[in-house]
Amino acid sequence: MPADTAMPAPAAEINSGHRLLEVTSLVKHFPIKSGLFGRAGAVVRAVDGVSFAVDAGETLGIVGESGCGKSTTARLIMHLIAPDSGSVRLFGKAAGTLDLPMKTYRSRVQMVFQDSYASLNPRMTIEDSIAYGPMVHGVGSGEAIRRARQLLDRVGLDPARFAGRYPHELSGGQRQRVNIARALALEPRMLLLDEAVSALDKSVEAQVLNLLLDLKEEFGLTYIFISHDLEVVRFMADRVMVMYLGRVAEIGPTEALYTDCRHPYTQALLGSLLSMDPDRRTETAPLAGDPPNPIDPPSGCRFHTRCAFAEAMCSSRTPALEATNPGHEAACHMTDLASGHSKARQHSQEAAR
Amino acid sequence: MLKAAPADSSALISRSPGYWATVWRRFRRDPVAVGALAVILLLLFLAILAPWVAPQDPYYGVTLRRLRPPGTDGYPLGTDELGRDMLSRLIYGARLSLFMGVTPVFLALIVGSVIGMTAGYVGGLVNTLLMRTIDVFFAFPSVLLAIALSGALGAGIANGLISLTVVFIPPIARVAESVTTGVRSRDYVEAARASGAGAFSIIRHHVLGNVLGPIFVYGMSLIAVSMILASGLSFLGLGVKPPEPEWGLMLNTLRTAIYTQPLLCALPGVMIFLTSISFNMLTDGLRSAMDIKA
Repeated sequence: MPADTAMPAPAAEINSGHRLLEVTSLVKHFPIKSGLFGRAGAVVRAVDGVSFAVDAGETLGIVGESGCGKSTTARLIMHLIAPDSGSVRLFGKAAGTLDLPMKTYRSRVQMVFQDSYASLNPRMTIEDSIAYGPMVHGVGSGEAIRRARQLLDRVGLDPARFAGRYPHELSGGQRQRVNIARALALEPRMLLLDEAVSALDKSVEAQVLNLLLDLKEEFGLTYIFISHDLEVVRFMADRVMVMYLGRVAEIGPTEALYTDCRHPYTQALLGSLLSMDPDRRTETAPLAGDPPNPIDPPSGCRFHTRCAFAEAMCSSRTPALEATNPGHEAACHMTDLASGHSKARQHSQEAAR
Repeated sequence: MLKAAPADSSALISRSPGYWATVWRRFRRDPVAVGALAVILLLLFLAILAPWVAPQDPYYGVTLRRLRPPGTDGYPLGTDELGRDMLSRLIYGARLSLFMGVTPVFLALIVGSVIGMTAGYVGGLVNTLLMRTIDVFFAFPSVLLAIALSGALGAGIANGLISLTVVFIPPIARVAESVTTGVRSRDYVEAARASGAGAFSIIRHHVLGNVLGPIFVYGMSLIAVSMILASGLSFLGLGVKPPEPEWGLMLNTLRTAIYTQPLLCALPGVMIFLTSISFNMLTDGLRSAMDIKA
């Protein structure tokens, strides 16, 4: 990892496919205020020890049910909220240090939010919204506006028609294109897409997804693509991380994860997908009920309350992420021969096959 | 409109009317609000041009012609208890009454907005400290607080202004705080933070524009209250002193004649009522005009 320059040349970052972002044991607990003086007692364990890495040029998909900590993870990576512990490193450097000032970090990593309307200032024209970021970073207003118009054109909105408009005059898809342009205006290396297409209808969603793929190619971007839509993640991601109640349940290459998943939670999630092939009926029973309360998560493996294979030991011991294949890890006792789970053997035999 | 365009095609960019242009277009369609605005502008016009508009000297009284009813020759609205022309006094009274209505609210808007926006934007302990202090003032009814402060400071216009300003700071600060807290948690503020902007830049570009409108409208609605309170203070002898013409004070000095000339006594009250209801209608109209949905 080059440590000599504060900001290595973009080309070098992309081509080598090396580590771009490294997240280590990230923890964020939100205290719940109760009573008059906000007695800190109970906490929501939104993110509870999440580690992963993203290589330059890839797309990491993050999936999971509502409340599993996907968005909190994104906001932690973006440094919009401070973690209780753990670190986020870009090019091996922590943000907010001399090596990588927060402002520089924020021009390298940008985010697109889910709510396309709420994420645009209703009093600003589209071009002003896009130009705001570069101007914060010292780009002159004329140049910033020029860049904003170029980007509008690039995301498929005619500047002559849209630059002077206000957010409420645009459709959801158009607004999300504006949000993407706004994120790109700072020429980031990485884009966090937090449910960025979830609020769009299907045809518009497909257009925006294709736009995202084109932009990734053109600007050499790296994506973290957060969604609850498994099909969309499969389409977009190179690798997928499955989160459950603030922890990583499984992480692996997209195809391996979708065809040969190791964690019963992933199986259940995939089981909830509708099969397009009438000969391949959906057989796995979908998950019942809501996820347990993250204020008081289940002991041991957090999934044991809803897991079809749960045994006594699952509620007492916390499974660690174990590699089942190179690059494919799951946090389940059944993937660990030494765990003592009765089904552990079967799974490893399948893996050996 | 046709400024020298930069090198690129700026002249071809189609522009939407700005937010306030849209608000004005919507406001104009509301006849009640436009009427209220017209009344207020007329009053303002009369107040400013009082020396030229008023038919007589408001301080000059003829004791022989006291308490003439409206319609008396030479005195279209009659004379007061010292024989001064009512019309002239009502016109001159608009000056002080409007001044006493608008100034405290204006001052309180500045102080209250700063307090409320600081509390709302910074949040946490600062918010708790500022807002709980503000809450102390809510323990007193506003009329009582104004009377107590004016009484403690002594009668007079300046002290009246100060006490009314203090009365209006808490409600404005509270509105400013709640609006700012709402705006602060919006995604566009998060996005601005994510682009590396500092607090002052975010407040200037993203918070102020979205917060000042509602605070301003709320302040407008307080002008009517302020006028009534100021008149009340004058009525109690704590605000403006005789012989200055001020509607509240006129109401006070004329009340002795309520059995002999009831219509005359009511005139200053009618002016107060007309002005405050106009401000209320104007506020209502503005509020609905500003409520632009996507």
